[in-house]
Amino acid sequence: MAISDPTEPADRSDASNAPDTTEAAEATEERDPANPTDAAVTDAADEPETESGAGYVRRLLGEQSVHVAVMLAFALYPIVYAILIRTPLGAEFDVFLPRIHTMVAVLYIGLFAMSFDFISGYTGYLSFGHSLFYGVGAYLVVLTATGKVPMLGTETPFMALLLIAGVLAVVIAVLVGLVSFRLTGVYFAMITLGFAEVAHVFIRNWDRVGSNPRDGATIAGGDGFALGVPGVDALQVEIGRIVGTSLGEVFGLGLGIEVDEVWVSFYAIGAVVAVCYFLMQRIVHSPFGRVMIAIRENEERARAVGYDVYRFKLAAFAVSGFFAAIAGGLFAGYSRSVAPGNTFDLFHTAEALLAAIIGGFGTLAGPLYGYLFTASVEGVLSTEHHGVARYLRRGLSDAMLSSGAGGVTVGDVIDVLVDGRADLYLGIVFILFVLYVPRGILGTLRDRLGGTVADRLPDRLRTTLRGLKR
Amino acid sequence: MTDPVVLSAVDVLVDLLQPGTLARILLDALSKSALYVVIASGLSLIFGLMGVLNFAHGSLTMIGAYLGGAVMVALVSSGTSGPVRFLLFFLAIAAAFGLLTLLGGAIEVALIRPIYDREPLFQILLTFGVVLVLDELARIAVELYGLQPQSEWQAAMGTAPGFLSNWYSVAGVSTRGLYLFEVLVGALVVVAIWAFLTKTRYGLYIRAGSEDPEMTRALGIDVRKAFTVVFGVGAGLAGLAGVVLMWDPRFGASVPLGVETLLVAFVVVIIGGLGSFRGTVVAAGVVGLTDALMTWLFQNHVDFPGLPEMAMFLVLVGVLIVRPQGLFGVAEVGGH
Repeated sequence: MAISDPTEPADRSDASNAPDTTEAAEATEERDPANPTDAAVTDAADEPETESGAGYVRRLLGEQSVHVAVMLAFALYPIVYAILIRTPLGAEFDVFLPRIHTMVAVLYIGLFAMSFDFISGYTGYLSFGHSLFYGVGAYLVVLTATGKVPMLGTETPFMALLLIAGVLAVVIAVLVGLVSFRLTGVYFAMITLGFAEVAHVFIRNWDRVGSNPRDGATIAGGDGFALGVPGVDALQVEIGRIVGTSLGEVFGLGLGIEVDEVWVSFYAIGAVVAVCYFLMQRIVHSPFGRVMIAIRENEERARAVGYDVYRFKLAAFAVSGFFAAIAGGLFAGYSRSVAPGNTFDLFHTAEALLAAIIGGFGTLAGPLYGYLFTASVEGVLSTEHHGVARYLRRGLSDAMLSSGAGGVTVGDVIDVLVDGRADLYLGIVFILFVLYVPRGILGTLRDRLGGTVADRLPDRLRTTLRGLKR
Repeated sequence: MTDPVVLSAVDVLVDLLQPGTLARILLDALSKSALYVVIASGLSLIFGLMGVLNFAHGSLTMIGAYLGGAVMVALVSSGTSGPVRFLLFFLAIAAAFGLLTLLGGAIEVALIRPIYDREPLFQILLTFGVVLVLDELARIAVELYGLQPQSEWQAAMGTAPGFLSNWYSVAGVSTRGLYLFEVLVGALVVVAIWAFLTKTRYGLYIRAGSEDPEMTRALGIDVRKAFTVVFGVGAGLAGLAGVVLMWDPRFGASVPLGVETLLVAFVVVIIGGLGSFRGTVVAAGVVGLTDALMTWLFQNHVDFPGLPEMAMFLVLVGVLIVRPQGLFGVAEVGGH
């Protein structure tokens, strides 16, 4: 992947060279936290160049403190969840906290949403057929495991499959992009939707997938897919809700907390998603990423400054497709079954769109939090036993449930307005975000802090703390 | 495709050129085109004037189908004679058109008006949120009345007069009365919209607005009001389409009808080109013909059930490659 156009000077990211004033603002805003010459963050930049390894790690941790904190929060979540569930308020926590199984979905769909935002939020080209890439990744994994892909044996390592899926998506993205990037705006959204729908209709009717392709395909039996460091057996775990690796009770705290298959999958998939996030984050903060933002802000101008915008858009689309396919592969590896409805469907792209708008369009990590929100709302309003509807029916007395006015009982209200109605409320929240919070959660935070959250939050906290001490 | 169907093109062609076959396909194409023009015209009007691709269009169609069905089920009893049912159908159309025009106007004023000054993509996103809410509301309402939201509403379909489900022979081809009726409705809708565009003041505004919005505004036309009216009329037309589809066994009132018709409407409007109602009519013809041809091909030669639908999207992709602005669109692409 070409990070920058070789014909351009390397310091294109420099705000003074930016082709547009709005872009210049963006450029200062999104200063790279990993780049020590960027004097934005800490005094650590003043450290001598010949620092020790420990010093380097400390500096890195200091600069990346928000990233570290977020990853720690995700890593500790299963433990916190397991403890809270055992407290006297366990039933309530069970209803309102997302379960670990849900959190696994937050990770892979979050990655899908981030890849969608990578192209749509950063270059401004709405990729309405993004589910195409996710579906390619997911179907490649399942079809290979069921021995239906020529030249790929059923024993192909999962990590290799993910890469193959990514590369396949890159090829498709380039082919689709070659045609689509001649168009802009609504027309671009529509042609990408057109391509995705062609694939969607095809996969729904392709009888090689299974006897009833509309229901998708399932991997029957067998081991879980192995994720881990290639070549090191000790660092491999198998993912999957039922077939994955289980480590038994590890903490030995007598709390009965078991690191089961879902936990292991959560950490393994989380590691892959984290790697993907940092790769995308690097690209976004590189000179290449600057050009992507320039295209969004003013494409004419970016072209006038001398960038071959067509090639930049194409490359960005390919990168985005690559990560979307990895997300799809992770989903298929974890759930071991795919269906047209949860891969190629237009409404699957919508899932990413929703997450991106709520989390922050044009902020890379935002969609992850956006989908965390979506998934939490869906979990609380779920019709399953951990949903709030069942909880209320269990908790409220029969007299309460059958009371009410005008022939409408409390029980009816729960049935009609609570049970499984997540889409209704998410739709309303989505409309409110589009109307009143167009920058999303992370984008708004960024505006408030005057820079990326990863850059500014530690400073902010430090000043606030200092203020408190005095 | 159980076995790779290697068919000689000559065989297919010979088969296709049988007079009976051709007539059958053309008649099928005509009825499908009529339906597609009804489904897409409201979207086309809104897109043409405002540049807003209304994602809620399909949901409005779905609501129209349920509304029309409700009117028919409430008023039609088993003793109601055919012609009376016919008249009631037009009453249902009037009711659905009226109610959805109001709903569309309200959506425009409350939700879309505040964000005209933002990038056009935000208007699309907003209408997409409306889809989520409307679909869920429809599901709630339908479940409250004890109906299955996923499958077609049979009671509403049963209110069609008997002579529509009979088969008739036209030019040596037997066809359902309902399909002929749909051709009639399609023709009426095209004439009505054509008259609206060319004979009324708002039609003039729309044509002027899609030609040159700046100049239209400069001439003192209240574009905001025109937008509200057009969004309302577009929504009303979506509702009208729903009522027509309610009787058709290939569609029928159900919640998924929304997405189904939305995709068709997108394809037709984009192929036709921005701001051209003539383009929409021609595109509906192209898509209808493609659909009819591919359906015939699937039934006789190619064992792939998704063929007609896939061909439709391939036509969309193909047209956008060759003529990015659509068949009758203005050459400048990217203005919206």
